[in-house]
Amino acid sequence: MEEQMAKIDLSNIAHTYNPLDPKPTYALNPFSMTWENGKRYAILGPSGCGKTTMLNIVSGLVRPSKGEILFDETPVTDLKTEDRNIAQVFQFPVIYNTMTVYDNLAFPLRCREFTKEKIEERVKAVSDTLNLSSFLNSPARKLTADQKQLISLGRGLVREDVAAVLMDEPLTVIDPDLKFRLRRNLKEINEQYKTTLVYVTHDQNEAMTFAENIIVMDQGEIVQVGLPKDLFEKPKTTFVGYFIGSPAMNIFHSTVSSDHEVKINDTTIKTNSNLGNLKDKNVKLGIRSEFIELAEKERSNTVKIKLTRVEDFGNFKLLTGKMGDLVIKSKVEREKPIPDGELNLYFPPEKCCVYSDEKLV
Amino acid sequence: MSKLYTFLKYFFITFWTVFVVAPFLWAVSTSFKDFQSVNSKVTYIPWLDFEPTLEGWRVLIKSPAKGGVDIVEPYFNSIFVTCTASLISIVLGTLAAYALSRFTFKAGFVRNNDITFFFISQRIMPPIVLSIPFFIFLSTIGLLDSLLGLVVVYIVLLMPIAVWIMVDFFNRVPKELDETALIDGCNPYQAFYKVVLPNSIPGLIVAGMFCIIFGWIDFFFAFILTFTEVQLLPVKVVALNSSITPWWSLSASALVSVAPLIIVAFIVERYLSKGNLSGALK
Repeated sequence: MEEQMAKIDLSNIAHTYNPLDPKPTYALNPFSMTWENGKRYAILGPSGCGKTTMLNIVSGLVRPSKGEILFDETPVTDLKTEDRNIAQVFQFPVIYNTMTVYDNLAFPLRCREFTKEKIEERVKAVSDTLNLSSFLNSPARKLTADQKQLISLGRGLVREDVAAVLMDEPLTVIDPDLKFRLRRNLKEINEQYKTTLVYVTHDQNEAMTFAENIIVMDQGEIVQVGLPKDLFEKPKTTFVGYFIGSPAMNIFHSTVSSDHEVKINDTTIKTNSNLGNLKDKNVKLGIRSEFIELAEKERSNTVKIKLTRVEDFGNFKLLTGKMGDLVIKSKVEREKPIPDGELNLYFPPEKCCVYSDEKLV
Repeated sequence: MSKLYTFLKYFFITFWTVFVVAPFLWAVSTSFKDFQSVNSKVTYIPWLDFEPTLEGWRVLIKSPAKGGVDIVEPYFNSIFVTCTASLISIVLGTLAAYALSRFTFKAGFVRNNDITFFFISQRIMPPIVLSIPFFIFLSTIGLLDSLLGLVVVYIVLLMPIAVWIMVDFFNRVPKELDETALIDGCNPYQAFYKVVLPNSIPGLIVAGMFCIIFGWIDFFFAFILTFTEVQLLPVKVVALNSSITPWWSLSASALVSVAPLIIVAFIVERYLSKGNLSGALK
């Protein structure tokens, strides 16, 4: 069973929906990527950034304008969808209305001519995992939206031989409570069966809690691939900084003043980045509000701000302050006393990221 | 307010029911009358107002040699032509509609919508415009005054309806349904007949209903394209009329002409009220 699953290689893939145009616009710019067998991936990005196109290319619904797809080193670019071992779950539940829940779950296996016993065994296993056992004989159209989505998921998971299960924001229609449980279920399924799962979402929390590897996309580009921790602490571009984390990363216009220092307004901030060849250039300094600390008094790497707002989120407080016309946000512990008016914030040098041309130095 | 609303609601429903049902009852009553009961004074209730007779009904099955107007053969002709043409229109129309809904066609400036409009435009033209071309066409291929010729013409008339209804229906069936079927391992043909088609039964029923209705009630082409060999029911019913209007047999023939449509309406209504149209994707 496991040996049938595959490593998926996307090699120099690019796609445009108007290939005949003299100047085609690319929904996906050329990229290469490898999805290892049995891992969990999340593709994260705003709407229209090419996430769904990427999934459709892998499942064969869309033929890429350029590049090649390989399952275990075998090219499948020209293989039709029905001949690829891919399962795909869409954002909204797609069920076969005229069939019962059992027939819905059995459909992918019947299409592939599995034996009756095998089908029964698999449908039972999957319906147990997804809590659908008691509905097996009901008409699928009578179920609620989230149960229908479970059926869609189930149809993806029922085949043991799938190379990967691709999910396109599958939990949008599902209650938050059930969502959490389902994500954990999916993780368990992945750990138990070693099924490669690819999960598209625009919700960073979903991506962070679900995946081992996160692929951040923006405007048809893959901006960063990494562990949740990397994305949070060292965003490769300012876009990732904005997109990941809540609140978004603090990003300030600044000028490089020495090998390791930048100037914001008139305050010098020391960083761990090597800025030797960027002297006097305009750059951006990014720091997570989580890493900014309250300082007792002015010292090196502190900035003086005027406090404009304190929001209590229960588990932390979010301070919003102004330095000149720059807005700074900082998360502090709830218990910490907050002095009124002016206060000093400390920027730890190892947490400061410098961006030149929106890219991490 | 709500009481008034309820009252008005029931009032209009009752009014409409009477409006629709009364002519039928009138026709039923008239079909059992003779010349005397129709022409002397207004009569309503059999046995009380007038003596019922089956003469109006008998005329319909009596052969012309015995003074009747035998509508049995035209009746079956109509059933044959309507059903055959509807069936072929639905099959071809559904396939055309699926293609128009799912694939992108380009031929010069012609796109999917233009093709769909081309189908519908066949119905925009007044039938009289089509009558001469059809006449010449059928006489050229030797199908004038034949059932097969009528079937061909009716397919031309009915397929646009089927295409139009089914394009709209397929457009509302999400393409993810087809895609899911492909992912689940169907080839495109299996995806169509195993998944999309069973989901489209309500649309097929509606399209079938319209085809049957329009096919059944057509008088114009049946009148122009047939003479002596073949006659369809609407033409024969009109031919019943003579210098003395036979209200009784006209009423009887009207009732038997409407009967199949009433049966169709009941079948369709029962099917559609199951709610199969909704909940396809929510």
